[in-house]
Amino acid sequence: MSVLEVENLTKTFVAEKSKILVLDNVSFSVGNDEFVCLVGPSGCGKSTLLRIMAGLEKADSGMILFHGQPIVQPTPKIAMIFQLFGLLPWKTALENVEVPLEVLGTEKEKRIRIAQEYLKMVGLEGFEDTYPHDLSGGMKQRVGIARALALKPEVLLMDEPFSSLDELTAKTLRELVLKIWVDPNLPTNTFMMVSHNVEEAVFMADRVIVMSPRPGKVVGEVKIGIPRPRLEHSRSPLYFELVDEVLELLEKSKRAQ
Amino acid sequence: MRKYTISFVVGSAALCVMAWLIMTLVKYPEIKYLPFYTFSTVFRIVITLVISVVWGVSFGVLAATNRVASLILTPFIDLLQSIPILGYFPLVIGFLFALGPLGVELSVILLLFTSMAWAIFFGVLGAIRGIPTNVVESARSFGLTGWRYIRHVVLPAIAPAVAAGANLAWCDGWFFMIAAEYIQFQGSIVTPPSGGLGYLLAKAAYYYKDIILSSVLLLFITFIVLFFNTLTWHRLMERANTGTFKPILKIDLSGIGKLGVAKISSWPPFGRLHWPKSFSIASQRLRKYSHIERILAVALAFSAIFFVFYMVVGKLPTFGMIFEEFNKPPAGELGALPVLIALTIGRLAIAYGISLVVAIGLGVLATGHKKAAAVIYPLYDIGQGVPILALFPVIFLGLNQVLSSRMALELTCIIMLVLDMIWYMFLNILSGIKNIPTEIKEVGQLFGLKGLKRITHMVIPSILPSIVTGSILSWGTGWNTIIFAEYMPSTEPTIPPLSVPGLGSLLDKAGYEYGNTVLLVFILGIIAAIVLSMEGLVWRPLLRKFEKYHIEV
Repeated sequence: MSVLEVENLTKTFVAEKSKILVLDNVSFSVGNDEFVCLVGPSGCGKSTLLRIMAGLEKADSGMILFHGQPIVQPTPKIAMIFQLFGLLPWKTALENVEVPLEVLGTEKEKRIRIAQEYLKMVGLEGFEDTYPHDLSGGMKQRVGIARALALKPEVLLMDEPFSSLDELTAKTLRELVLKIWVDPNLPTNTFMMVSHNVEEAVFMADRVIVMSPRPGKVVGEVKIGIPRPRLEHSRSPLYFELVDEVLELLEKSKRAQ
Repeated sequence: MRKYTISFVVGSAALCVMAWLIMTLVKYPEIKYLPFYTFSTVFRIVITLVISVVWGVSFGVLAATNRVASLILTPFIDLLQSIPILGYFPLVIGFLFALGPLGVELSVILLLFTSMAWAIFFGVLGAIRGIPTNVVESARSFGLTGWRYIRHVVLPAIAPAVAAGANLAWCDGWFFMIAAEYIQFQGSIVTPPSGGLGYLLAKAAYYYKDIILSSVLLLFITFIVLFFNTLTWHRLMERANTGTFKPILKIDLSGIGKLGVAKISSWPPFGRLHWPKSFSIASQRLRKYSHIERILAVALAFSAIFFVFYMVVGKLPTFGMIFEEFNKPPAGELGALPVLIALTIGRLAIAYGISLVVAIGLGVLATGHKKAAAVIYPLYDIGQGVPILALFPVIFLGLNQVLSSRMALELTCIIMLVLDMIWYMFLNILSGIKNIPTEIKEVGQLFGLKGLKRITHMVIPSILPSIVTGSILSWGTGWNTIIFAEYMPSTEPTIPPLSVPGLGSLLDKAGYEYGNTVLLVFILGIIAAIVLSMEGLVWRPLLRKFEKYHIEV
């Protein structure tokens, strides 16, 4: 059964008096426990789609259903992590995780306990009182992940979460995210990631949805049948075949323009 | 181009009609010279502007590209710019006495120069230092050196800074015009033989005490400033902003996928005016000096003071001569110095508090509500254009109708300070709010931060660094303004000038009434000490503390 349902989504932006169509009639669905990755060339509207999903922007027509209800505003059930982390620079790691809990009305002691627990889970024990300024990029994204998970959301949205990190750090964090996804103790089990890195998408996702250059349309999807844990199969012939398949779809959509 | 011609024609016509109306309706004898006075003031400021630009660009390029020059020039010029206009009086008086009428004209230009030139110099310096390393390196790799490097890299890079700095100098020129064209010295008034609008306004306010004429003249002056602003600077700024390094950065930040962001960030019309200066200068100034440079600056300052003494007295002063000056008036008031300092700081603090609160309110309103913004931005544009110093006599005359002159001056002083300080605060707070990155705003939206929580968790912390830079600038300009705001010149030798007790008015008495150079320098030294210790004890630690709040993108 599907958790998220994208139905005929269309979105235009107005820039300098001219209208630019960024999403053109996009439809797909994301099932429970599924890890879906959206790939496409830059500017194809995939980040916009994610923002509509998070309730940060509104579609011109069409809608996104979450358990059958249209998403009109942000909800704690859907959390998001950002490409540039989106941490508040004037708050420590702990306080950054606390803020959304405070908004939900969690009392002080409880939210400190929760924040500590999640920071520990992402491997940041001992850095609770450090400001983002003094954390490395990878550590900042760890805080971002802890902050998202602390709300116990059902869905985790990720907007190119590893693209501003170096490759080694990105690799470690990808494994951390996959570990969180399979963790039976966490309620967060539907993941939706936007990426322009095909290898990353094939490595992580159950299904890769490919979008065309602007205006963004779904041009196809590839089911990734590689057994998990993926790390053991990441150099298998099947992996490279699937990467090629996704790249082929991207190429085709580019030629069609 | 057509729009430009139309605004030029309509504006000039309006100006002529205004001048004609004033000339026919007002009865004082000086008024028939209004067109000539207008011309001579504009001409004077334009000449000074040209000198300032030439000086600022050449010295700025020199200081930015030559290490030795930088070591000597930068701290020295920074010191000069922090001396209020009155500090240059001894120098000017030397001119006045030596060269007759021509000397007076030259000294007015010199005085204007001392308040106009610095912004251009520091703008140029900042712009050259801000050229990205990759651009410098690629230019080097193509073999661009010497003059060709300056022509192809440096000059295009400084164009916007020169335009912005010249605009600032232009506004400063109008600001100080009234102080420069109406010099009071030991009971007599010295004005340039060719007259000027500042002289006319001072005469209307101080001599005729005619509030209507003063207000009309003030309107006239403000209109001229705004007219020139829209005619030249706005266009220049638009043109200068293309083809520099800044827009490249802008494209990087907004990206292709975030068209919405790009639109919002280019929305308000003021980005092209003023704020590169207010932002960069303060933070640059607070960071750039090493100890050696400071020591060097102090040494240079001492030799400069020495030089001034030499010019005034005609020979090198001995210690005995200096001490003797301490016994001449207004030295008697030195006993009350702590009280005077407290009073002046109190006035500044009140004005600062008002400016801070109002500026935060206006900033939040202007960024949050489009309708409010539609009112506040034009208000800002006009408020920037009014030469505040010219407002002084008008406000005083107005308040004097209902209050005793002492109370009126006290109130005028604080109003002046607020009007002067508030724009720096507002501009910095605005840029602080606007520079909150989209991702941070989205985080707030995502987690449902609203109302008071949004303000305490996001808005206030994100503007704290801007509040500090704004504070440094507004206190700086406040110290400069209070020297004029505590003291009301009079025209007849029989009537003593009106003043409220304070450090500023003491300085004025020493400078204007008694010509006591030693005391003048002494009080300037006290002011400098207060400004420096506030910088060191309050602003610098705060700036360092908030540095990590700075959002990296």
